[in-house]
Amino acid sequence: MKNYLHIVIVTLFWLSLAGCKKDNITGSADDIPGLGGDTWTQTEIDSWLYDNFTKPYNTDVKYKWSQSELVDVNRFVTPVDEAKVVPIMKCLDSILISPYETVAGADFMRRYLPRFIILFGSAAYEADGTRVQGQAEGEGRILLFELNNFRVKGMVGYLSEDSVGAKRLFHIIEHEFGHTLHGNIMYPVDFKTITGSYTTNWYNYTDGQANEKGFISNYAMSGPDDDFVETLSILLVEGQTSFENLLNTISSEEGKTALAQKAATVRDYMRNAWNIDFATLQKQTRTAIERYTK
Amino acid sequence: MKKWIVYLVLLTVTFAACKKEDTVFDKSPDERINGALASYQQTLQSAASGWKATITTGTGGIYNFHFRFADNNRVFMYSDFNVTTAGTEKESSYRLKALQQPVLIFDTYSYIHLLGDPDGNVNGGADGEGLLTDFEFAIDTVYADSIILTGRYYQTHLRLERAEAADYTAWQNGVWESNVQFQNISNILEYFKRFTLGGVTYDIIVDPITRTVSFIWFAGNAQRSFTTTYYFDRTGVVLTNPFVNGTTTIRTFTDIKWNATTRQISMQVNSNNVIVAGANAPIRVDLNAPQRWYNTVAASDEYWGSYDGFHVNGVDDAYKVTQIPGYAFMVFWPAFGSSGGTTYDLLGFVTQTNAGLTLGFGAGYNAPTFTSDGKIVFTVLGVLGDVPTEAEDAFYNTASRMTDPSGYYLVQTGSSSYDMVAASNARAWIHWER
Repeated sequence: MKNYLHIVIVTLFWLSLAGCKKDNITGSADDIPGLGGDTWTQTEIDSWLYDNFTKPYNTDVKYKWSQSELVDVNRFVTPVDEAKVVPIMKCLDSILISPYETVAGADFMRRYLPRFIILFGSAAYEADGTRVQGQAEGEGRILLFELNNFRVKGMVGYLSEDSVGAKRLFHIIEHEFGHTLHGNIMYPVDFKTITGSYTTNWYNYTDGQANEKGFISNYAMSGPDDDFVETLSILLVEGQTSFENLLNTISSEEGKTALAQKAATVRDYMRNAWNIDFATLQKQTRTAIERYTK
Repeated sequence: MKKWIVYLVLLTVTFAACKKEDTVFDKSPDERINGALASYQQTLQSAASGWKATITTGTGGIYNFHFRFADNNRVFMYSDFNVTTAGTEKESSYRLKALQQPVLIFDTYSYIHLLGDPDGNVNGGADGEGLLTDFEFAIDTVYADSIILTGRYYQTHLRLERAEAADYTAWQNGVWESNVQFQNISNILEYFKRFTLGGVTYDIIVDPITRTVSFIWFAGNAQRSFTTTYYFDRTGVVLTNPFVNGTTTIRTFTDIKWNATTRQISMQVNSNNVIVAGANAPIRVDLNAPQRWYNTVAASDEYWGSYDGFHVNGVDDAYKVTQIPGYAFMVFWPAFGSSGGTTYDLLGFVTQTNAGLTLGFGAGYNAPTFTSDGKIVFTVLGVLGDVPTEAEDAFYNTASRMTDPSGYYLVQTGSSSYDMVAASNARAWIHWER
């Protein structure tokens, strides 16, 4: 009798649980707002970006504000002005994509141009007073900041001093793309020990002081990865002649040798890892940049 | 027996847990949020003459906006931020989005972003902060004629009110643009900006960044001053706190017109036509101010500091001292040292070097002359230290501006701050504080 009851009760228990199956989810998953990304009425900018970036490179250029795109979501950053979007992306095409395609073949950028390029209007201000002007996150996303001040030759209101800001952006683009390169094929590990002595307090040094220690810029002191891509991007944006002039201003023999060695490592890396002739890439990039700034 | 209790408890628990909550709503959360977004969209685009809004920034300024929302994610905007934004309607984009609650995002740059832009050069706020104002707003409540929203970062309050046709045409016809030209008072070249009303002469100071206006006048021999914030409306300028002097009360300035040639403002105050124009001397010269300024620091061997250098002919930091590499600030140091038996005052330039803050170079002046009509006159003695090549222009222009033969008035602006104003034409001045 006891056993019988036991079975009845246990059965009842399971039945009741089964009977409890909830089946009242109404609506369809298609109703979930924002699923698959935000949508809006397409404009000429959207179709231009689709034709020139999404279709050929599978790269999504995001220019509409979304707080969640920020790496540090607690920063207050403003969105980009629509008027700047196409001019900036045209610049990116001619100073980054075209030169690399010329030296590395048409498929190179289809494979390595980051999946997302995200545009912001203002800089992201850090608590220590520095400003974030560009960020590469993983290899798939490049964030570009402070674009609302961007003016190049041929734009309304362009002054020669705007070329400083334009070159800064070009430098950041090359810098962030450099992270994509070494993210795919690492640079020789010896690079890290050419100078060593990296510091998070890089902003306490001027570029001149950094040069004396064998770094191409003060930001290059922040870590070996940034050192590598700073060397790469400044060689591209400023050109070989300007780099040699820079070497000659360095009074410390040690600093001069170290920096020259870093530049040589970059050159070898591009040849060995990517089969890219660095001198040609440098010339191509420099010519494109001069069109916008002189 | 124990087992029974266990079974009983189990049973009760299972049935209790199984209690089916009837849903309060007849639709799923997704359907409801989509419905809400669609109805908000409908409300936004339904206003034929758009929406008007007033925003109080996190720094306290009051700004007006006019928005027109189209059904294709496009928004058209006016703002009384400055003359351009008040005169030209700007098109940009917006979208409604379901975050934790329905949100209105102005998702590409327009006038509303000027307020919160973290670049201080855009709006006069601190770098990294701007005027602490949002451009992403959670929708709290939607009424037929107004929408209440709250910013998601700074909690900026935004209340959209359905505009009348006249509201929109006021923007289109340049009424606001003309009103905002009130702020051109700060562009009058002379240090002193002045108007007369009811037989009393007032100096007026407008600070467009904090949107404050100050009046300075004399009652008998006593100098009086009054400061209040102001904001714009369709008719002109409204003082947040009315200004009262005896029988004169000023609440608003209306019919504001800026003459760019004469650099004067004409406006209506209590049905009187008033002209605000530059003046080249104080209403009454503070005769002892130069000695007071000099002796305050001389007595304790201290110095006056200035960051921005000289403002000359409408240009802040006209000699670009702040662009000297490593520039920190400038000092005026009475009796700094002596040379060949002459004690001299120093106008020194402090720069940030590897060794810390350094007073590296400066101009020496003979002890100043205090004139009986309340001016101070400097004569140069020589240059101290090595002036770096890249600082030469800034240094020599500033050093020789000091030796204006007509001398300078000193205007005390606070317990430990003075403005030193060129007595020749009042179009050059420098701010000192400590």
